[in-house]
This record gives sequence, structure tokens and C-alpha cells, in this order.
Amino acid sequence: MEQFLSAVFAGTASGAIYALVALGLVLVWRGAGVINFAQMGQAMFSTYVASTMIMNGYSYWVAFFVALAVGTALGTVVDLLVMRPLSGKRSSAMLASPAMRGTVPVIASLGILGILQSAAGMIWAAEERGFPAPVSTLGLSIGGTVMPFTAFDLFVIGIVILTLIVTTIFFQKTGMGLAMRASALNPEVARLSGIRTSSVRTLSWAISGAASSLAGLLVTPNANLSPNTLDLILIIGFTACVIGGLDSLPGGVLGGFILGLGISFVNVYSSPSDIFLAILALLLIVLLVRPQGILGSKEVRRV
Amino acid sequence: MLKIENLVTEYGAIRALDGVSFTAGEGKITTVIGANGAGKSTLLRTISGLERAKSGQITWDGKSLIGKAPESIVRSGIAHVPEGHAVISQLTVAENIEMGSLFRRRQFRSDVKLAIEEVYELFPRLAERSKQLAGTLSGGERQMLAISRALVSRPKLLLLDEPSLGLAPLVVEQIIQTVNDLCRKSGLTVLLVEQNANTALAVADYGVLLSLGKVVANLPAAELKADASLRAAYLGY
Repeated sequence: MEQFLSAVFAGTASGAIYALVALGLVLVWRGAGVINFAQMGQAMFSTYVASTMIMNGYSYWVAFFVALAVGTALGTVVDLLVMRPLSGKRSSAMLASPAMRGTVPVIASLGILGILQSAAGMIWAAEERGFPAPVSTLGLSIGGTVMPFTAFDLFVIGIVILTLIVTTIFFQKTGMGLAMRASALNPEVARLSGIRTSSVRTLSWAISGAASSLAGLLVTPNANLSPNTLDLILIIGFTACVIGGLDSLPGGVLGGFILGLGISFVNVYSSPSDIFLAILALLLIVLLVRPQGILGSKEVRRV
Repeated sequence: MLKIENLVTEYGAIRALDGVSFTAGEGKITTVIGANGAGKSTLLRTISGLERAKSGQITWDGKSLIGKAPESIVRSGIAHVPEGHAVISQLTVAENIEMGSLFRRRQFRSDVKLAIEEVYELFPRLAERSKQLAGTLSGGERQMLAISRALVSRPKLLLLDEPSLGLAPLVVEQIIQTVNDLCRKSGLTVLLVEQNANTALAVADYGVLLSLGKVVANLPAAELKADASLRAAYLGY
């Protein structure tokens, strides 16, 4: 029983982080039609900034919010300096065909990932360093009994659920949220309605940057920080999107929690070496049974 | 007044508009008719900024629209209802309407409310269905929704692309009459693209006949309607 509960809690906590990563990926995919491979590179960079601030005596929370701001800024800069110019240059020979217009930004995001990882290695040296958690990462003890979860697990679950609630309210209840949904669903009708779709796209990159830097801050206390630590998180987050439905925000979040719990159960009841086998098996089953993902729409994708 | 001079728009090697010139008078309905592929939709898409003109001039209220983005053009009072009942089917009816007024919501909060009430009065069916997803509406209701979305931006010029497409005659009649009333009562200028020439010419003041990207006739609607040889040569009936 205790083993089961501990698997549930650990799985929910890591699932919450994968859900954040998936949220960031889906936002940019829906808003800009790009799978952003640089996403966790951006998160790694902002986490390093936080880590450096903490080492220099700033409080965890100051560093936390600065990291979120850096993540938001990085997302914005990536769109303004790289993605927007690429989507605007329809006349260039390289971007003449729709297939290339779909592919080039993805390749560019890989380039950005490389730049961020090398820059982090140069600035902070490439060795691993720890990253603190704001609360204890040891089993919580209530009245002398050690619980199967840590205070940090609860912190992660709480903060991610809060983020998901705020995001949902933003998308469902505000004018800007409506503008973002409309731009993602039908950019032409959105533009004819007066929505500045290119600004909306930049906002998608910015929010995605914030969500992934939050994921970086929450995952590193259990994983240490190096320029490459977050690569694996991106792969799991991307798998979560595909399982949940790449064009659905709730789908990405659901996929994140499913994978988190799945991995945790395999880890507890089988062995850690089976984790990747389990992820691949799950991915394969979903792709065979429901290729568009659990909550994805059946519509033909526009490129 | 909307003034179009020598407008040329190309898709790759295909010249969809080949030197189109005409004017659409204020408070009047001008209809653009012609067969499939005559360039009618391209004309509207170029005016609203969705397509880039190769050469020529489009002037609205004395200002050039050339090179402006669609989201700026709608701010100058031109609303485009594209072909195919263009609504966003995954959004609710209320959200589709609200979408058309988003860019005015800070500056004209109370007028936006009023504009939304007005379209619900105009199309009570939409008010009943305001919480439904637009995808669940019938074709006629979707067209009404698309027009409502355009009207809440408080346009002075309405570009309507084939509102009758795929709709039952009775619904077409209702929609065309609504547009006619709007024009006569509130002085809205309308540029109506139609393949269904009879319906369009019945309410329009002027008719522009397009063929293969060129204007072949630009006459008062009644005269164009009466010209049997033009009809036979370009519309096939």
C-alpha cells in the first residue's frame, strides 16, 4: 500500500512537470505551427540564472521569479529574432515551398538549443551542480510517521495546478485568451476580425517560455543542473503531447500526468531500466488506436 | 467611397485580377458578379489585405490601402466576410461575435456592448444559440454569424463574399434583405460578390461584371440586369 501511494505521489509530481513542458510545446505548436526543440534549452538557461543568483546570496523566491521573467523574455526573443523573420520571408528561395516553411523553423529551434547549451557551458562551466528546493525533498513526517510523499512533491503539484487554473481562466475568460484561441484555430478569420496575429504569436512564445522555465525550476532539485539535463524532460514532454493530442492544451496536460504516473509505476513495480520501453509501448498503442492523440482533433492539420 | 484603379493581383504565374477599375459609392450596394474564376473573391481578398496587389491602387476615404495588413484595414472601417460562412466552428456563437469586437473593447466598451445587442436583435436565432459551438449551427445561421462578427466591428464598408453559397433560397432571401436594410437604414456601403447574379442585382444599385480578371461592364444594376447579350455572353443564361 505504501509503495502504491508513493508511486502515485511521485508520479503525480513528475507528471505535473511533464504537463508544464507539454503545455509549453502545445502553445507554440498551436500558436506558431512549430515544435520548439529549444524549449528546455531556454528553461535550462533560466534555471542557471536562478542558480547563480541563489549562490550569490539572493533568496530562492527572488531567483524563482527572475527565472520566470528570463524564461518569458527568452521565448519572446526567440520569436522576434528568429521565428518571425523566418515566417515573413515567403519570397526567399529556401522558404518557397510550404514543406520548407514547416521544417525550417524546427531546424532553427535545434540551432537555438545548440547555442543555448554551448553558451551555458561557456558561462557556467559544463559540470553538474545542484539546485535547491524551497521545501524539503525528504519524506514528509506527520506525527512520527514518514509519509510516502515529500513536501516538495506537494509544492510541485500545488504550483502546477495553480498554473493550470490561471491558464484556463486566461484562455476561457479574457479577451486576449480568446484572441489567442482564435488565432490558433483560424488565423485568417482572426486577422479579418482585427486580431494582430503576429503579436499573439509572440505572446504564445512568451507564455510557453514562462511555463517551461517553471518546469526547469521544479525538475532540477531532483535531477541536478547541467547544460543537457533537461533534454530528457523535453523528450518525455513531447511524448506527452503526442499521447494527449498535439493541438489540445488539456490533451498535453493529460498526457503529462499519464506519463508521469506510468513512469512512476514502472519505476516502483518493475525496474528503472524498463521506463523507456514502457514510454515507447504507450506511445505506440496511442498512435495505433488514436493517431490524433487522446484529446486531439481529427481535422487535417494545416501546415 | 472605395476607389479601385488598375488593380492587378497574381497567384504565381496566374493573373487573377488584370487591371480592375471601378468605384463603390457611399451608402450604396455595389455587386460584383461573374462566373467561377472571374476574380471576384480575389478582388475582395485584395481589398481586405489578405492578398497583396501586384500593382494598382485601392483608396478608401481618400487613403490608400495598398500594403496594409488585414488587421489594420478592419480598423479603418472595412469588414470582410469571406466565402464559405467563415466562422470558427470550435468557438461558441458568443465568442465568434466577441472576436469581431476585440480590437475595440478598450476604447469603446459601451458601444461594443451595444453593437453586440444589435446583432442579436438582427438575428434572434443567434441569441438563442449564443452558448452553442458555431460548428453546430446550420449553414444559414453560420452565415448570419459571420456577418454579425463583421458588423460588431462597426464597419462603414462591408465586403460580402458569396453569402448565398450553399443556402436554401428562403435563407438567401432573408440574408440579402437584412444586408439591404442595413445599407438603406444606416448608410452602410456594401460590396457584394455573388455568383447568383439575379439575387444580387435585385437589391444592388450598381453592378460590376468581371470576366477573367477584367471588368467587362460597370452599369446601374437595373441596366445590367436588362442586358440580355451581356448575360448570355458572361453568365450563361
